[in-house]
Amino acid sequence: MPIVQPKSLIYRVVATHIFMWFFLALIVFPLLMVIAISFRQGNFSVGSIIPEHFTLDHWRLALGIPVVEADGSITPPPFPVLTWLWNSVKIASITAAFIVVLSTTSAYAFARMKFAGKGLILKGMLIFQMFPAVLALVAIYAMFDKIGQYFPALGLNTHAGLVFIYMSGIALHVWTIKGYFETIDPSLEEAAAIDGATPWQAFRMILLPLSVPILAVVFILSFIGVVTEYPVASLLITDAAKYTLAVGAQQYLYPQNILWGDFAAAAVMSGLPITIVFMLAQRWLVGGLTAGGVKG
Amino acid sequence: MAEVILKNVRKNYDPSIHQDVLRDINLEIKNGEFIVFVGPSGCGKSTLLRMVAGLEDITDGELQIGGKVMNDVPPVNRNVGMVFQSYALYPHMNLWENMAFGLKLKKMDKAEIEARVSKAADILGLTPLLDRKPKELSGGQRQRVAIGRCIVQQPSVFLFDEPLSNLDAALRVKMRIEIAKLHKDLKSTIIYVTHDQVEAMTLADRIVVLSPLKEEAASNLEQFGSPLDLYHSPANKFVAGFIGSPKMNFVKGELIEIGEKECKVKLTSGDVVVGCVDARRAKVGDSIELGIRPEHLLPNDHDGAHGHIKGVVVVAEHLGAESFVYLSVDGKDFTVKTHSEVVANSGDVMEVGVPKEAVYLFDTKGIAFPRTAKYNRDKGALPLV
Repeated sequence: MPIVQPKSLIYRVVATHIFMWFFLALIVFPLLMVIAISFRQGNFSVGSIIPEHFTLDHWRLALGIPVVEADGSITPPPFPVLTWLWNSVKIASITAAFIVVLSTTSAYAFARMKFAGKGLILKGMLIFQMFPAVLALVAIYAMFDKIGQYFPALGLNTHAGLVFIYMSGIALHVWTIKGYFETIDPSLEEAAAIDGATPWQAFRMILLPLSVPILAVVFILSFIGVVTEYPVASLLITDAAKYTLAVGAQQYLYPQNILWGDFAAAAVMSGLPITIVFMLAQRWLVGGLTAGGVKG
Repeated sequence: MAEVILKNVRKNYDPSIHQDVLRDINLEIKNGEFIVFVGPSGCGKSTLLRMVAGLEDITDGELQIGGKVMNDVPPVNRNVGMVFQSYALYPHMNLWENMAFGLKLKKMDKAEIEARVSKAADILGLTPLLDRKPKELSGGQRQRVAIGRCIVQQPSVFLFDEPLSNLDAALRVKMRIEIAKLHKDLKSTIIYVTHDQVEAMTLADRIVVLSPLKEEAASNLEQFGSPLDLYHSPANKFVAGFIGSPKMNFVKGELIEIGEKECKVKLTSGDVVVGCVDARRAKVGDSIELGIRPEHLLPNDHDGAHGHIKGVVVVAEHLGAESFVYLSVDGKDFTVKTHSEVVANSGDVMEVGVPKEAVYLFDTKGIAFPRTAKYNRDKGALPLV
């Protein structure tokens, strides 16, 4: 850094570090708590953060392995957690992929094409998105009940139906991608048009490769959104074997017997797919892709 | 290789508002000509170019390229190549891919693509840079890639949209020379848009001067002619003021004597000036505007001076090789280009000589009266061809 800094800088650096550590602790502590609970004997929510009586029982149960108790009795895994995890990953990946496809194509139309009512539709989408999906639960239930009578594959208690509902939540993603497209100079596509590209080719070969970072962001956001979504999934899916992990994990928390330890293990596991997707997608989250193309 | 013909072309972005951008543009551009569209911001020169390219539709009129009507033909089939002001290189492709992109889309065979790209890279001196991405290049190199991307397509018409406006002054001069050389080598038709009249004068075979369209005007095509034509015989005050640097001086006055070859004008400053202008379509007493270029003014005692204009020195700029003296003549700015050793202090009264052959005259509507001579400071009066 060529800028001359005053001496007091060192104190500011120290203060910044202290603040950051404090802030980090605030975020990390609950996570550590949950991890600790999942390794602690018994199903208690309180206890020390480093387990005094370490056990893998909760994890065994979560992974579907029966546990042999000290008295010789066998506790079978109460719920098919791995199936739920798989359901979550499957639904979230399919939904995120569809959302990326749908929102990029519609964002392209909004960013580059002229048509009547463009502003109205854009604003309308934003406003409708402001109502929580919970408010529409009754309507969604009624609609999918009806749809199910004609297309059972898309009706209640199906994963396809769930994906279908989640795909309706693209308005914010359309806005995000549209904003990104608008930062890309349209002369790039004009140059492509003169080079002989059709609008589709210009979109696919010029615009999309330059938009990979924003597509990765949208994929991650919609993936997380689906994995953590509870109300719609709990309403639509009634079969325990078809639950997503977010819905299924609630089963541990029945009022008479809250299984904190088992719940904690399932909760930590539900964080895994998100972490993995994020780490995989991180390599696409790079800036400066459009550098050098245009001067202006 | 093709000629470009525009017939009564009109452009209106939004027909609901009756606000034309271009009106009644008629041009016949010959095969192999270097044409420059020049004009101030907002005159529609880039729009006109984009209409030729097919990036904007034509509201009215007809566009022909190579004898075929092209109004509704998509850009790729017009056989034009375009260099954008912003270069518009594909940032995620290296130079080779940038240039080959269009050829690959046309499914040309690999050997032909390779041959064309390497030939273009050779012409433009880009061969050692072919595997670099645009961001690793300097401004001038990027500009060359943009030109290269055009060359490989072998278009019959090259379109340049203010290609040098993003470069620094030194590079601009260098690239200007390279573009002139390129035109000589390729011999294709070139249409070049710029707001810089020096670029226009140095590059063009013929110049199209456009002005921002006024509501009542029939057209905003002010004049179409060779650089020296525009310089010596501007059709109107707009062209006279636009072509030439520094700008032509204008002083208001009235006609006091009209002849076949010469006329006499009394300026509002009180000075009387003779000019080689045929003003017979006006009558004595009519108000006119006199134009005189800064570089045509002479020292007061010079033999070639037939009239004199008096003004008060505002400021003098000494550039070394020459000097510019800015006068106030009857309250209006008046620039004099003169030798470097001139002594001029602010507030001094200065009188300059006006050769009668260097006088331009415009009526109240700004239309030029025909001149009967032209002038060059080194050679004096010249016959008007």
